[in-house]
Amino acid sequence: MSAQVLIFGALNGVGIGMIYFILSVGLTMIFGLMQFVNFAHGAFYMVSAYAAFAIAQWTGSVLPAFLISPILAAIFALVSERLLLQRTYSLPHEAQILITFALAILAQESVTMIFGTLGKNVPVPEVFSGVLILGGFVYPSYRLFVVGVAVAVAVAMWLAIERTRFGAMVRAAAENAEMMGLLGFDSRKVFMAAFAFGGALAGLAGALAAPLRGVEPLMGREALAIAFVVVILGGLGSFNGALLAALLIGITQSLMSMIWPGGAHLMIYGVMTMILAFRPTGLMGRS
Amino acid sequence: MRNRREILAAAAVGIAAPSLLRRAWAQQDAIEIGSLVSLSGTFANIGEQVDIGSKIAIEHYKTGAGRPLRYVQLDDQGDPGRAVRLTQDAIRDRGIRFFMNCTNSAIALAVAKEVASSGGVYINQAGADEMTGSLCNKNTFRWPVATYSAVNTTVRPFMMKYPDAKKWYTITGQYVFGDSLLKNVKDVVGELGGQHVGNSYHSLSDREYSGFITAAIAAQPDVLCICNFGSQTIDVLRQAVSFGMKRNTKIVVVWSTGLDQFQSLGPDICEGVYFGANYWHGVDAPGNRLLTGVIKDKLKVTPSYLLAAGWACTQATVEALNKAGSADVPAVIKAFETLSYEGPTGLEKVRAEDHQVLKDYYLLLGKPKAKMRDKDDYVDVVFAEQAFLSPDKTGCKL
Repeated sequence: MSAQVLIFGALNGVGIGMIYFILSVGLTMIFGLMQFVNFAHGAFYMVSAYAAFAIAQWTGSVLPAFLISPILAAIFALVSERLLLQRTYSLPHEAQILITFALAILAQESVTMIFGTLGKNVPVPEVFSGVLILGGFVYPSYRLFVVGVAVAVAVAMWLAIERTRFGAMVRAAAENAEMMGLLGFDSRKVFMAAFAFGGALAGLAGALAAPLRGVEPLMGREALAIAFVVVILGGLGSFNGALLAALLIGITQSLMSMIWPGGAHLMIYGVMTMILAFRPTGLMGRS
Repeated sequence: MRNRREILAAAAVGIAAPSLLRRAWAQQDAIEIGSLVSLSGTFANIGEQVDIGSKIAIEHYKTGAGRPLRYVQLDDQGDPGRAVRLTQDAIRDRGIRFFMNCTNSAIALAVAKEVASSGGVYINQAGADEMTGSLCNKNTFRWPVATYSAVNTTVRPFMMKYPDAKKWYTITGQYVFGDSLLKNVKDVVGELGGQHVGNSYHSLSDREYSGFITAAIAAQPDVLCICNFGSQTIDVLRQAVSFGMKRNTKIVVVWSTGLDQFQSLGPDICEGVYFGANYWHGVDAPGNRLLTGVIKDKLKVTPSYLLAAGWACTQATVEALNKAGSADVPAVIKAFETLSYEGPTGLEKVRAEDHQVLKDYYLLLGKPKAKMRDKDDYVDVVFAEQAFLSPDKTGCKL
């Protein structure tokens, strides 16, 4: 296998990694801020993907869905948080897992009842339907668009968390919610906003993924598995860790698809196991 | 002296008794057919459609061997172990002797063994060659074609049409069925002077295929051949097309489920792609006209392969019962072995030597959206044939 092919593989892996990042960043943010294990993250992703399908059917293009679907996912997350999940913050993680898992199944079965069990196609927007050719390297324009969105989200999130008053409040709430409350800030509102934002990020990932892989009821479960690998490998709650882990997973998967195709998926978990053996808190996690 | 209420109650019992007795007698007399379908879990999208197809066929045919038919749904949840337990319970508790359907080969092979040991009859849609090969048995029949037939009805005519398309690259699901397709593709490509330039195996849990496709593009093949089944086939094809592989490579999907997959992919992706399929609703045959008419009448949809497969296994069972004239298992097996009937793909015959239903397999070509006559007219049938291994080569010893 030539070096050029491996370079192409690595570049493709960066693209996969950025898609995984956008999928998992909302999950790590919610855990980092609230110490909350959200198994419904995949459901937000899936519901948003189906919303994108419905919007594409209705309007003839998926483009409006990139704005509308994340908002719908945020509303879904917000309603879930207000009506159900806020009551579980003080419960052990096992209870949170069970309750959010139940919510995910509820969403999955509701979608199945409405749209059926068969997968649906969401066409790539006309404007991104071509491919980019660089020498021997071919890359779909739509994937490039998704990578661009992921980079923009990463930069915007970093700026929002590090350089804004809201970001400072989020960091403070993550460090010590009780102290924040004593200082006169309503940490519940911060949690609520963060949960809705996490849902919107999952929703954005779902809407962007719909033209890449179509929509089907089990897609949330698969996305959740990858998101958890990224979050655990990066370090629970670490934004930078999630980015690093997503890129590492993406590049590993892409290169292994060429070197040892049968083990490409296995190696995602292989890399996670190896790194956790040496760094049990993940790449950038705190003990 | 009896009061008015007692007299009324006695009269009511007297009036209802004959109908209750008739119902009890009918239940006693009905032939129950157990249907192994996965209505939850990973294969629910397959099981639901097969289930509907079979139910509608039972409603349509109503009787077999002169007795009413009753459909008994057995939801195996995609788990071969559960499928076997459900089969055992159905045999022991309800005395069921006739079984049909499956959502994957592992379930079918496990159930086939159980039904054979209990002296029943089972017809299924398994893809694995072992079903009518090394693991065949006297009590089990298979409706879809084997991988040999699928490859020889797709790759062979394709290579005849495009003799210059020599270099083949395959992307294969790493399990028995995928491997079996791959072996047959290599055999046919080699036999016709082609070159197999590479293969990427992927696991059954993979959902991201861009790495495999990048490797395929690097090999610069003339043909990309996809050897798998189900939703992974859809994802591989979708991603291959998104990477522009249709520009300078032809794509052959050896085994597809037809309409439901085309609906999932959309016409733009299907255009120009060759698909192999066990069933296509547009085929003009008496059995298919009946099937499409009934399905459209009941469901207002065009039948997909999965609906047709559920119907087909039910129809074959009913035909065998009618031919046997009784529900006696040895008589039904004997009837099955010489069965010939107008099925969904035309005249279908059962081969006694390995219990394979001999039927057409189709090579379909995705057509441009502008040429679709209706919303389900995704493809043209460009080739159809019954290409089966001779019985002495299947490895089946009944």
